[in-house]
Amino acid sequence: MKFVLNYIRREEWSPYVAGTLLGIVGIAAVWASNSLLGASGAFENVAGMIGKAIAPAAFDNMYFNFIMPPGITTGVILVIGLFFGGMVGAATSGTLQWGKKGSANSDDQWKRIFGPQTWKRWLLAFVGAIILEYAAGIAGGCTSGLAISGGMLLAPSAFIFIAGMFASGILTALIVYRNRY
Amino acid sequence: MGNYIITLVLGVFFGFALNKAGLTKYHKIVNVFRFTDMAVLKFMMTALVVAMSGLYALRGLGLITFPNIPATYIVGNLVGGLIFGVGMALSGYCPGTCAAGAGEGKLDYIVPGLLGFLTGAVIYGLTYDQVFPKISAITNYGNTTIPDLWNLSSFLTVVAFALMAFFLFYMIDRAGWQRKEMIKEE
Repeated sequence: MKFVLNYIRREEWSPYVAGTLLGIVGIAAVWASNSLLGASGAFENVAGMIGKAIAPAAFDNMYFNFIMPPGITTGVILVIGLFFGGMVGAATSGTLQWGKKGSANSDDQWKRIFGPQTWKRWLLAFVGAIILEYAAGIAGGCTSGLAISGGMLLAPSAFIFIAGMFASGILTALIVYRNRY
Repeated sequence: MGNYIITLVLGVFFGFALNKAGLTKYHKIVNVFRFTDMAVLKFMMTALVVAMSGLYALRGLGLITFPNIPATYIVGNLVGGLIFGVGMALSGYCPGTCAAGAGEGKLDYIVPGLLGFLTGAVIYGLTYDQVFPKISAITNYGNTTIPDLWNLSSFLTVVAFALMAFFLFYMIDRAGWQRKEMIKEE
């Protein structure tokens, strides 16, 4: 019992243990609610909600009316759960960053490569996030909604997506890191 | 309402697993593309082996039916994946890990991350009609699985996948498929 508690308090688990937990969560999602995990769709639901409130005419299209209707869907609830899950995880290891000084540019490796300026991190992260969400739309899901959820059902789409993701991820890292790759 | 509570609990465990695997950190995500830390790949492959074994076993026992299987349209899945990898290597997150990292209180996840996803979602939603129907119509195989598509035994497919994953773990952990990190020593 003590071993288990100590393990929970560790900041970083073996990826095999954490991966087993995610696998069980994936099974539970199908068993308990006949649904799949996924994160990118939730941002579409919320974007539609905000868009329809601000500029209803512009957001009155097929996508925001029928494909990804706005509202607090179960997908949005799942992302809220993700938020609190990350919080609980960090709390158990005492690594919460709320209100901490370095939390605006949180990664040491980033700072070593790109320097300490926060705006640089925020700019690249913002552009990266736009690319991620757009790509998830085209592919039919993100790492959780397609790679994990599709892969565990043995959908070919998941493995095609993973192959593409690694190919361009490696290439992008090569370009960004150059001689420090 | 019950469904919402189940989903919330699932989300919390999901975010907890992402945090403990270290995926809410920029360097973990990027270093898998540099082959200096393969935790992301080990984490994903372990989750796939566990979930796939459980789900196919439960379906074989008649205890569950599969939900809507993510559709296969080769060109779109591949192009999407290719664009996705660029975003991952630049930002060091994906939509799920960003939400979990935001919960940890990291401002570079909360502000540029969540706002970026919402912006991307708006751009996607407004250009959907011009892009998605066309790209998803090419090489479309529908909501299929590998065993169904190629007429394979699903049991043997799961076993083969698991063996492949174990081989991969062995090569990473024991046969030097992971490179040494050089950045720290500067």
